[in-house]
Amino acid sequence: MAHPGAIRIVAPPAKGIAQLLWSDSPYNSGGELRKTLIFLGAMCVALAACTQTAETTTTAAGNGAVAPSGVLLADVQSRDSLNCGTRDALPGFAVLTEAGEHVGFDSDFCRVIAAAVLGDATKVNHVDLETADRFTALQSGQVDVLVRNTTWTATRDGSEGATFLQPTFYDGQGMMVASDSGFASVSDLDGVVVCVAKGTTSEGNAANEAARLGLSWEIRPYDDTDLIQEAFLQGACDGWTSDVSQLTGLRSAYPDGAEALTILPEVFSKEPLAPAVRDGDTGWAQAVNWAILATIQAEEYGITSGNVDDELGSTEDIGIKGFLGGEFEVEGAMTRVDPGIGLPVDFAYQVVKQVGNYGEIFERHLVPLGLSRGVNSLWTDGGLLYAPPYR
Amino acid sequence: MTIGATATRIPIWRNVRVIAWAFQLVVFSIVAIIVYWLVGNYRVNTASSGIPTNFDFLDNPARFSIPGSPFDGNQAVRAAFGVGILNTLRISVVGIVMATVIGILVGIGRLSTNWVVNKLSVVYVEVVRNLPLLVILVFVFLGVVLQALPRIENAWRPLGLVVVSNRGIGVPWYQSGSGSLLVLIGMMGIGGWWVLARWRRSVSERTGELARSGPIGSAFFLLAIVLGWFLLGLQVSLPRVDGRTIAGGIRVDPSYFAVLIALVIYTASHIAEIVRGSIQAVSRGQGEAAKALALSPFQRMWNVILPQAMRVAIPPLGNQYLNLIKNSSLGAGFAYFELTNVAQITVGNGSPAVPAFTLALLFYVVISLVTSAVVNLANRRFALVER
Repeated sequence: MAHPGAIRIVAPPAKGIAQLLWSDSPYNSGGELRKTLIFLGAMCVALAACTQTAETTTTAAGNGAVAPSGVLLADVQSRDSLNCGTRDALPGFAVLTEAGEHVGFDSDFCRVIAAAVLGDATKVNHVDLETADRFTALQSGQVDVLVRNTTWTATRDGSEGATFLQPTFYDGQGMMVASDSGFASVSDLDGVVVCVAKGTTSEGNAANEAARLGLSWEIRPYDDTDLIQEAFLQGACDGWTSDVSQLTGLRSAYPDGAEALTILPEVFSKEPLAPAVRDGDTGWAQAVNWAILATIQAEEYGITSGNVDDELGSTEDIGIKGFLGGEFEVEGAMTRVDPGIGLPVDFAYQVVKQVGNYGEIFERHLVPLGLSRGVNSLWTDGGLLYAPPYR
Repeated sequence: MTIGATATRIPIWRNVRVIAWAFQLVVFSIVAIIVYWLVGNYRVNTASSGIPTNFDFLDNPARFSIPGSPFDGNQAVRAAFGVGILNTLRISVVGIVMATVIGILVGIGRLSTNWVVNKLSVVYVEVVRNLPLLVILVFVFLGVVLQALPRIENAWRPLGLVVVSNRGIGVPWYQSGSGSLLVLIGMMGIGGWWVLARWRRSVSERTGELARSGPIGSAFFLLAIVLGWFLLGLQVSLPRVDGRTIAGGIRVDPSYFAVLIALVIYTASHIAEIVRGSIQAVSRGQGEAAKALALSPFQRMWNVILPQAMRVAIPPLGNQYLNLIKNSSLGAGFAYFELTNVAQITVGNGSPAVPAFTLALLFYVVISLVTSAVVNLANRRFALVER
């Protein structure tokens, strides 16, 4: 409760300040002080309003244990463009061509997601990221999805705040050496310099492998594959370790020719390469996941970009028709399959028509490098690719 | 306004000091609101994605090794940061010393009457000062270290003492053992040099003969080291090429070498300009008077001009030292394990980004503040006190 004496103290200054602000006095000549104080007051009010709105939106998101699902999906659809985190110089996976286009296996999966979510495979904004800041870009929202040959590990699921989706490529880590160095197996490499990309699982795996085999390796991490390539050319590195798929791509682009390098036969870790989205938005994660699974399911059904229109038009199989978003008859009424993921009903059709099925994407980019399907075949061919049923 | 009523107190709302305080309060609250909003935003966003915001990551195993040090992947991240800080300090100290020496020489050279020395200094300073450090660093690393230095199979072995290759430079070193005692003897040697210098200076002031404390002091230091070497029975270990690596001696890491050379070249060019400017700031009369006293050119420079020039030069020199310390972080792109590189690698391996880089920032601030404090101390000691 205000002390009665306080009023006697407060009122005169209040009157005085009012006088100060509006009248002319040596402290307010030209109205300078008045203008300054009004400006500051307005800024305070504006900031308070901003803080209120920011806090209400962010606290609304942070109040429950889980953020409202599907927010990012709605964002991407209203923005009408997908921010896809990728890279610019890995042959076979993502290469920025002179025409300014991103070409590669990962780039095509960015287009797959755009085709599914936005209906148009060209509405992708490829954001080139360095290996060391790819997770920060994902966490901060700079990219909506990270399709950048990233290995799915427990730590990345947990403290990196990423959610990994269906792996697009099951890989392993290998070692590449110069063909004329005389090394035939990883156990020959003792007392050598091994170069690796900074901030990747390859670093830790190389250290573990060296310890396991009792070898001494000097592991030097570089930011840039260009630097590693230069170091390799000049003989400053004996071995180059990374995922076998990456090594194959880099070998194909080596200045001295692919025969100058040999990838040693040993594979020393599991590296499932999978796209990743940010933790906390299950709706977006599921939407992206099903976009990728659609390519695998399409290959299982035998649907390619060439015959997808025929299949949609003339197939009798309700499974395929439902998958492609076509209408079919159920108990006298025409209906479509809409699982409620948030994607348009014909997303699978758009994906296959505009980009292709998994096999087509693989053949387009990875077969020219010399990679074979191996464990990346369908489960019906003895591989690991198995899409859950679309119903 | 009431003129002549000098006895009345100024009311609070017209008091200039009160208004100033009120203004400060308003600005402070605006800044506080902005900071509170940013930090609050960060906390909410990291909470919703489950990213930790504390410093617990320092106890996790590092999972990467640091070449050239006994650190392996099973030690904690805090040990990695320790190695990173040591490496930053290592390259900063050596870089500062080398850059100062070269900078002073080039700065004096630019004022020389010898045409070749003069022109060389001019070209060096004018070219290097106008290049960005990163460009110099890339050039030194790719061009000099990787390409100009030979492959390990063809390593140069000048005099059989040193091994030079693009994987490192091997230099003779003492056999590991009582090396710390040798360092102690070295420090005692430096102490002896200082004592000798003071004695020689008092002798010189008394009798007028040349002090020569430089030659005498360094002779004493070398004597102390050599005596200590023989007394402790230390042996020299010479470097040799062993397979694909250099064994024996001590190996200078190629990344360390490249970053050091680039930093020294860059900073020395700036220091040369500062030294030149400060020498030209000393009045011409001083140099002419020294000449009239028949002092040799070296005595002129060392005893008369440089001491006065250094007074002017110390604040900008301190600035260049701080720049060198901060520029050492560019080594992160070239496999030199200084603080920034370690922070980047741990963040790439799963440590939370904001706490890790905040830690790195704090260390750089501390290192820089200590350096500034030392430079300010030197400045105050040498400053001319004007009455």
